[in-house]
Amino acid sequence: MNEILAEFLRGYTATNQWLAILPEILLALLALSLLAVEMASPKAARAQVGRVAFYGQLFILAVCLIGCFTGPATTGAEPLFSGMIEQSGTTQFMRVFFLLCSLFVSYLGGIYLERQPLARTEFHHLVLLVAAGMMLLVQSAHFVMLFVALETVTVAFYVLVAYGRNSVGSLEAGLKYLIMGALSSAILLFGIVLLYGVAGNPALAASSSDSLQYSALAEFISLHDGNLLVRLGALLVVAGICFKIGAVPFQIWVPDVYQGAPTPVTSFLAVASKAAGFVVLLQLVQGPFAGLGALLVPVLSIVAAVTILFGNCAAVVQGNLKRLMGLSGIAHAGYLLLGVIAVASGVAWAEGAVLFYLFTYLLGSFAVFAVMTFAAGTDDTDQQISHYQDFAKEQPFLGGVLAIGLGSLAGIPPLGGFIGKLFLFIAAFQAGLYGLLGVAILGVVISIYYYFGWIREAFFSHYNETVPTKTAILPSMRDRLLLGFLAAASLLLGLYPAALSLLP
Amino acid sequence: MLDVLFYVFSAITLVTALLMVLSPNAVNGALCMILSFVGTAALFVLLEAYFIAVLQVLVYAGAVMVLFLFIIMLLNVEKGEGGGYLKDRISLAASIVGFALLAVLVAAAFGGGSHLPEPGLSAVVDNPVGANGGFEFSTAMKSFGYSLFSKYMLPFQVAGFLLLAGMIGVIVVSKKPDLGTDDDAPTEGQAPEPSNS
Repeated sequence: MNEILAEFLRGYTATNQWLAILPEILLALLALSLLAVEMASPKAARAQVGRVAFYGQLFILAVCLIGCFTGPATTGAEPLFSGMIEQSGTTQFMRVFFLLCSLFVSYLGGIYLERQPLARTEFHHLVLLVAAGMMLLVQSAHFVMLFVALETVTVAFYVLVAYGRNSVGSLEAGLKYLIMGALSSAILLFGIVLLYGVAGNPALAASSSDSLQYSALAEFISLHDGNLLVRLGALLVVAGICFKIGAVPFQIWVPDVYQGAPTPVTSFLAVASKAAGFVVLLQLVQGPFAGLGALLVPVLSIVAAVTILFGNCAAVVQGNLKRLMGLSGIAHAGYLLLGVIAVASGVAWAEGAVLFYLFTYLLGSFAVFAVMTFAAGTDDTDQQISHYQDFAKEQPFLGGVLAIGLGSLAGIPPLGGFIGKLFLFIAAFQAGLYGLLGVAILGVVISIYYYFGWIREAFFSHYNETVPTKTAILPSMRDRLLLGFLAAASLLLGLYPAALSLLP
Repeated sequence: MLDVLFYVFSAITLVTALLMVLSPNAVNGALCMILSFVGTAALFVLLEAYFIAVLQVLVYAGAVMVLFLFIIMLLNVEKGEGGGYLKDRISLAASIVGFALLAVLVAAAFGGGSHLPEPGLSAVVDNPVGANGGFEFSTAMKSFGYSLFSKYMLPFQVAGFLLLAGMIGVIVVSKKPDLGTDDDAPTEGQAPEPSNS
């Protein structure tokens, strides 16, 4: 190999700093070692796998937090791996976010798997891979990296959704998610390819031979924001992401998949998958598509308005709780889109508001999904509102956590969800989205109806004498600690929002 | 000439892809898929990406599709409704096309003279060295190797985990649920709950 070539290649590999993605590498290693642990240990000891996964993730979370606070100050975005990934304060926050999600999902998965005749190791393995994939996804600054990370996450999710092999609903959900996911990936990829093609055209100004890199693409798009192929490509990319976040014309898969998937997987889909989609959308809107605000703001505004109305109206008449959480999740995606639109129209601090909202959504959703996991019987897909009759009387602790979680999701004042919504709406107001703001407030009012319908079912006594057939598992001390943490954090963020230092 | 070829191969790819979806017979569908892959490979050749074209034929049209066909034929999927008289015509057309291809192959093999151009590694010296510099693309296999193991190292590694997730997925989904690892878990699958909604 000649010297010049070697020198050149060295220049490319100089930024391959593997230590920068230490948490992801540790997660992947943990996932691999779980498989080894299962192979090596005797059958009786395999229940330990869940514990290994849980404590391993706790350790990685600690590593990640230490990296956040003691690592080199990440003021701006730092390009790593030849511009494949960029790290910033936002990505550090999201890494911790996804680790928290996978921790909760592992924990709830352990509870779910105890009741099902299913293999355990693979579940934890896939959850870890999804977490690592999402952490890379939000850090990616290059469409190749984005797509590979996204596909890793999606393929693992196909399996997780279909994990309940003994339930027809889970298999059906897996198939539906597979088809819709493949379709959305195809749309996203088509958009990426169009952008790659048009930005790599040497006849146009500012064309780049590495036109999938965000910064190169941003430079190109800022000069060619009227180009038809650019607009089409950007719209297709945004449409592909809208599939992931479940925004309205692409929400069709949400209720069925949420209902069929095992409850822990549903919570993972609802929180982590959605959050990843929103962070990617935020990065695109601020990065490569910054020059396309005139196109994206009206399109996203229509999508947001329809999403909020559809999600809330469809959730009102829903009796199945997993479908209800799915549909209300669509509505939450609508509120979050408000923040994205505000960012796209120039209110920069709205990014912090979106992240704050995502975090309160994590706390609220996992509180509710955890209670649902405890309260579910052996048939995971069939969880009706009516099963929660007199729930709070029999399980005062779980009832209390449920009330706090639902209250936070509905946006009731002393809880974190209220602050999240408040700041999103302030951001939308500053961006001048008055019509959209009206729709969102209407949506919140509708949402209070169905969230409190659930609370009423659980807390207030009934006149009809039907005896509830479900028997919830009694939470152990450790479960109580975890649930208590979720509820307390919701309350804390409501009373003292500065704890997250994301808001102005 | 290149334009015409592009349209021809694009048409082949699209039409056979459509036929694959519409075909009632699974074997026919798989065969149409092979044709579609071959059309894509031809498009790669037109783009002078010979290496990818060869991979496309070897891996997809070759290995993967042979597996598909094996499984379809072993599963003995019911044959869909097909027009009887159409079959003869299709066989006739297929054999004509096959013989024509054979003739072309023989002519190319013994006629000689028309080799594909030899790909070479472009000079990479002109490229800017640094994180955001573009990698000069050439069709030589070496160039793929350099890119894959320097610039695209991280996506390459992640792709490995993508395949691992797929493999684990196949095992999980195809395994019988009661082959589960635990002895203490309930053995029955789903206990239908009386719903009182």
